[in-house]
Amino acid sequence: MIRKKVTIVNDAGLHARPAAALVKLASSFKSDFYIHMYGYQVNGKSILGVMTLAAEQGAELELEVSGEDEKEAFKAITELINDGFGEVYQEGE
Amino acid sequence: MASEKCTKKVSSVMDVNDRLLAGTPAVAGTTVGKACIYRRQQPIVSNEHLTEEQVESQLAYFHQAVATARQELQSLSRSQSNGDVRDLLYAQIEMIEDPELHEKVEEEIKSNNTPVDAAIHKVFDIYLGLLSERENADSPERSVDIIDTRNRLIQILHNDENEQITKETIIIAHDLSPREVIKFSEQQVRGLVMEQGGESSHAVILARALQIPMVVRVEQACSRIPAGKVMAIDGASGKVIVDPSAEIQDKYRVNDLSTVQSQSTAVQYETADGHPFILRANIGFADELPAMLASGGEGIGLLRTESAYLNNGHLGSEQEQRSLYEVLLKETSPDIVTIRLFDAGGDKFFDLGQQEQNPNLGWRGIRMLLDEEKLIRQQLRAILIVAGRYPGRIRILVPMVSCLEEVTAVKKHIADIRQELKEKEYAVDADIELGIMVEVPAVALQADAFAREVDFLSIGTNDLTQYLLAVDRGNERLSNLYSQRHPALWSLIQQVSQSGDATDTPVSVCGELASDPVAACALLGLGISELSMTPTALGPVREELQGHNLQEMQQLADRLLESTTTAEANELFANF
Repeated sequence: MIRKKVTIVNDAGLHARPAAALVKLASSFKSDFYIHMYGYQVNGKSILGVMTLAAEQGAELELEVSGEDEKEAFKAITELINDGFGEVYQEGE
Repeated sequence: MASEKCTKKVSSVMDVNDRLLAGTPAVAGTTVGKACIYRRQQPIVSNEHLTEEQVESQLAYFHQAVATARQELQSLSRSQSNGDVRDLLYAQIEMIEDPELHEKVEEEIKSNNTPVDAAIHKVFDIYLGLLSERENADSPERSVDIIDTRNRLIQILHNDENEQITKETIIIAHDLSPREVIKFSEQQVRGLVMEQGGESSHAVILARALQIPMVVRVEQACSRIPAGKVMAIDGASGKVIVDPSAEIQDKYRVNDLSTVQSQSTAVQYETADGHPFILRANIGFADELPAMLASGGEGIGLLRTESAYLNNGHLGSEQEQRSLYEVLLKETSPDIVTIRLFDAGGDKFFDLGQQEQNPNLGWRGIRMLLDEEKLIRQQLRAILIVAGRYPGRIRILVPMVSCLEEVTAVKKHIADIRQELKEKEYAVDADIELGIMVEVPAVALQADAFAREVDFLSIGTNDLTQYLLAVDRGNERLSNLYSQRHPALWSLIQQVSQSGDATDTPVSVCGELASDPVAACALLGLGISELSMTPTALGPVREELQGHNLQEMQQLADRLLESTTTAEANELFANF
């Protein structure tokens, strides 16, 4: 099992789109994936669960990944979060 | 004149506070129309207790509702070309398919004998309850999206009509979900006013993509604006005017987006002087999609189907192939996906046969596929089944064609399999387009004849260069001889482009040449307006093409055609 903290860096936080990207990525791995935040735990493969965290920019999440492909899963998930979910849109034109 | 003055006078007597409402600018553009107040109906759910016999059917209703909602979102998504919009719809599809949601709703129906609508309501309430403790009350984006998903599922179960609004009005709402904004845009609404929302709310992102003028954060708009009243809004300044004077109406109509904007909301990229072009991506794996979508690729111009399997040593099963195609089609909706049949062999060594002395001139591409009938039929079956589900979106591309007989043989396979699928009652895309790679010089020289037999031609400059110049592109000793800027290549490309024109057959370029911004200009100059390239090149190429007139590009192409050495061509590139 891998447990490690990450910080949400994208401006808009973990709203629907990043949550969808996160869940989709996590679901492509066999490992179980949970997110802990403020002592609350959600299933990282459930978009509704992830959205209820209401994690904004700067929020600290603790990721818990366990299973046969946990290393790959953890690496991919942290990369996605650290890249700000590839969010490209900015305010204004 | 007199009557106008009169109205002015009367209106100036009215309470100014009621007529001029201030909001936050969201989407620029002015518009005039009648107000239509949109209030989301709170779904009323049943409170009965299910008998054991009813449980099964209620579970089935749930899955039907999920399937209907998913299809609805997918078809909405298919009609959208904007990546942001599609991402948001995709997120809603994920919500509907949330495994935890399914588990909880099923559990509620089975264990507590709760009717399906009430079960959905109850489970969503758990999520919304958790969210309300944490989410910023001023921008309840997540709640809006989740409530919309819940309401839509319940609406479907109740067989409710969709949102009732009047066409061509200005919609006033407390808040709107992405799905509602799209629905309304289909009803040609003229503008949107929301009580809530900020610059980055999903409704605003959608309205911006769909070019609907919008003002947000207008306090108590729903109660202060009388339904049916004529009003004007200015999305750039955040002004909302109820009962505007004729003068203001005229002024606000001038910039009315709905009068200038064409029906299509598709973004079309153009050269500096307005000639449209299409840029698509060359990809081999589904995980290249985000990069492609982020850089605005308009579909896939070349899917290298062999890439996903090269490492495994075998080409995937029909099922594996289908799921790859399915993912790509879903994610690139509504754009074209060009599926190239397995191009194994040559430099892409594939252990299906024995080592050859000269693999690049050997058993590869369509030559290998026609010998390995099982392989080509399996792939065509996978493609045609998926194409039936996404009609008009898949094109088939045949690699390494060198003679017309090969085209005939592929067509025969396609016709056979299509017939077979029809008999098994699969949906069939009767007009699926078939094209060939132009990478063997013989095909380029005979392009007229090939063009009459196929729906499109795609020039693969990497191999075309290697075969034209007789230079192995993998041989480092010859790397100084391998150049896709060689004068002979330009004239061959010109010939293919002219054949395409003469036969009304679209010609595109999917080789490395297309990913060089200057070369892309030259290709447009030669009359080829569809280019496909590695996703990272999309941005730079688009910028270059947008920055030049077609005439400059034609001049560049003419000079390249006149050049006699690669060095001269390089010079022209450097000076462009």
